[in-house]
Amino acid sequence: MTSTLNPMRPAAGLPRPYHFPSFSRRQLANGLNVWTVPVAGASLVNVHLLVDAGAAAEDEPHGGVAALTAQLLVTGTRRLDAAAFAEATERLGIEVSSESSWDSARAAFQSLPQHLDAGLALLAEMVREPRFDAGEFERLKAERLADILQSRSEPGRLADEMFLQHAYATDTPYRRVSAGGPETVQTLARDDVIGFHGDHYRPGLAHLVIAGAFDDDAVAASVERHLASWDGIGPGHRTIAPHPGGDRRIVIVDRPGSVQSELRVGHIGIDRYDPRYFPAIVMSTVLGGMFGSRLNRRLREELGYTYGARSGFDARRSAGVFTAAAAVQTDVTAPAIGELVGLLEAARTAPFGDAELKEARDFQVGIFPLRFESTGGIAAAIEPIAIYGLADDFWQTYRDRIEAVGAAEAQAAAVELIRPTELLILAVGDASAIREDVAALGIAPVEVVPAP
Amino acid sequence: MPHLPIERHLLPNGLRVILSRDDRAPIVAVNLWYAVGSRHEKPGKTGFAHLFEHMMFQGSANVAKGEHFDLVQGAGGTSNASTWLDRTNYFEALPSHELELALWLESDRLGSLLPAMTQEKLDNQRDVVKNERRSSVDNQPYGTWDEKLQELLFPDGHPYHHPTIGSMADLDAASLEDVREFFAAWYAPNNAVLTVAGDFDPASALRMVEKHFGPISPNPAIPEAPPIAVEPIIGAEVRQEVPDRVPLPRIYAAYRMPTFGSAGFDALEVAVDLLGAGRASRLYRALVREQQVAQDVTTFAFPVIGGAAIFTIWVTARPGVGHEALEAALWAEVDRLTAGGPTDDDLERVRNLHAAGVESSLERISERADRLSMYACLFDEPERINTEVSRYEAVDAARVRDAMAASLRPDNRVVLTYLPAESAEEAA
Repeated sequence: MTSTLNPMRPAAGLPRPYHFPSFSRRQLANGLNVWTVPVAGASLVNVHLLVDAGAAAEDEPHGGVAALTAQLLVTGTRRLDAAAFAEATERLGIEVSSESSWDSARAAFQSLPQHLDAGLALLAEMVREPRFDAGEFERLKAERLADILQSRSEPGRLADEMFLQHAYATDTPYRRVSAGGPETVQTLARDDVIGFHGDHYRPGLAHLVIAGAFDDDAVAASVERHLASWDGIGPGHRTIAPHPGGDRRIVIVDRPGSVQSELRVGHIGIDRYDPRYFPAIVMSTVLGGMFGSRLNRRLREELGYTYGARSGFDARRSAGVFTAAAAVQTDVTAPAIGELVGLLEAARTAPFGDAELKEARDFQVGIFPLRFESTGGIAAAIEPIAIYGLADDFWQTYRDRIEAVGAAEAQAAAVELIRPTELLILAVGDASAIREDVAALGIAPVEVVPAP
Repeated sequence: MPHLPIERHLLPNGLRVILSRDDRAPIVAVNLWYAVGSRHEKPGKTGFAHLFEHMMFQGSANVAKGEHFDLVQGAGGTSNASTWLDRTNYFEALPSHELELALWLESDRLGSLLPAMTQEKLDNQRDVVKNERRSSVDNQPYGTWDEKLQELLFPDGHPYHHPTIGSMADLDAASLEDVREFFAAWYAPNNAVLTVAGDFDPASALRMVEKHFGPISPNPAIPEAPPIAVEPIIGAEVRQEVPDRVPLPRIYAAYRMPTFGSAGFDALEVAVDLLGAGRASRLYRALVREQQVAQDVTTFAFPVIGGAAIFTIWVTARPGVGHEALEAALWAEVDRLTAGGPTDDDLERVRNLHAAGVESSLERISERADRLSMYACLFDEPERINTEVSRYEAVDAARVRDAMAASLRPDNRVVLTYLPAESAEEAA
């Protein structure tokens, strides 16, 4: 149908340099760290307030109090009840969010620049003078309990939760999801939330990130007006000690009638301070971080077992998990497990090829400006620097550090960070249909557990 | 609101080219909309438009299987595609100095897909797509909702009656001959829009487009699309209960509504937000916070043009709340807004949320490119991207009331209720 298609990949043009926006930080007298990131040409502004009030700041008997506290903040202030607070923010075109993870709680909004001061006033009011209405507390607690039911009905989320529960050999908070399990959420009282808020929502260990379109002087005045008189310093977070994984084992979480098995294969990974962080990124990109990664190419593009296979590290203040993941049709569960385990073992023994390493590095380096095209993406990029105390030039040096990962470093990361004898192989699926085949692999003892 | 610059060109082979420059960052987006979706499928071939989309990543004359992704990711970009009722889109976002790579890859598959097709590739992607269906539909709680809504909203024979993902049996039946036929019929430059957005020089971008797409022949005989005419009102309420592996009952309510792009659609888009956008919305306030009968509420209007669009509401019951009580509470709120219309405060709220939402979406060049392609492909009017906010703000209380009264009627609704099944067998 055509005669003159060009057979050759066209040469790239001259790259135009890109730099992560420069930012400034200063500290108010009350300890609040204020990070401002002006973005040329932006038409929105993002405000992220980070407080050391994530799940690492709670104690185990109150697991879930951090998440519930964060969620309750948007249900009003002493001055404005839940309805009035929602009206006040949304009439500015603002949807305030408030949520928590293991290492931080974040209250945030995005707005047109003209609403920055009004938005910041409402955000500050909500964080400093929350209403914690008794009825709203009961409502959100019940919603959280129902959300646990919902998440456990979804095989992917169930697999993620069950993987954490079985990955650690000894008892650790990291065995659960950061928002808490039903056993502890059930017991939470309104006073627990009030107490947690009073202790932890303090400026002393907090960070305010403002990124996008704003006027420096106006922002300084706004911050002064709404947050300078906030006071105190919280107790911070617990240290969650590293915990060991177990021996290689297979756990089938029985979900009768499933037409797919949700697979998670992995073990304890690295913490956010690990010196092998960059080699780990490059290694995992080759393994399961790109379309043409080893896992996806084999399980999807060669075998058709799955819609997609991937791998990655969850690096927190202490070591989270490393997992390879795929949802595969039920009748190939056993061979798919064999393939995943084989590819993880091969990552340690089969040398990384120059082409796949180059593609992984080029991907991570080249994608850099796209990661930060939205002002929300830029604000989010400040978070790990603030929360983990990374160097201020973390993003300025990021691409060089990716480029510096050679074959030797990637291979060393695979050898050190993938441990085939410790693999937890977890499948959420129909045990009656897969148990026998999986046991016949002969690669690990099999345990079947009911879905919670 | 920023006014996006728009340049339109037409190649002699019929390819419509839209250029929208923005040099804030050294990144560029390429986006193609082909005017073919699941509503163009033949009976017994459901899911084929989407399966075909997968085949477009299986290589062409000068690109090996999987190489499309390898080259784009190796260049520091992202690429993907999606299929829906009216269209199929393909897109890349990458550093601006690699613009020509994306254009070359897109032109190579449009110009020379068939020589690279094999039965083995088709069998492989059929398996992948069947697993996509399992992941998103068959193994998901509530996963069948949209295919059931479409089936109940549109009569047998209407091209929206069947889902884009298709049935397992039809996917099994797809052949290489189907691939050849589908490609020859629909994949032609005169059935497509190509948008480039971001950092580029318009003159040189246009030269690249002409160089790579110019040699590709048009199809002078694009087939007639299957007829889309449908009554604006169903005529009687349609109800179905679905036992499923779900912990909580959920009600999906859907209505036929005026098609995307019409004034009636605009008015109901405002109604969608009045009912369900934000914690001050009518349904959140009444059902979630005040009466505490719902765990969550979602409202959505499907922006499609095939005879009718789809107004959708879903609400999940709180534990212990019966679905009958939830349903009664839902109709009461919908009726209240239909009868009374929105207040000025209501309108100010949703207009400001909408304006901020548009601004946020259009921060990303890939979203700009996709919307420009959409407006060009569906309405031959890419300039509509610059009137999204003014069209929304032009909707007043009377238009909301009238549009709701015309469409959100009991005799025009489908009510699909998911109920926790007693056993896995019952949920099958």
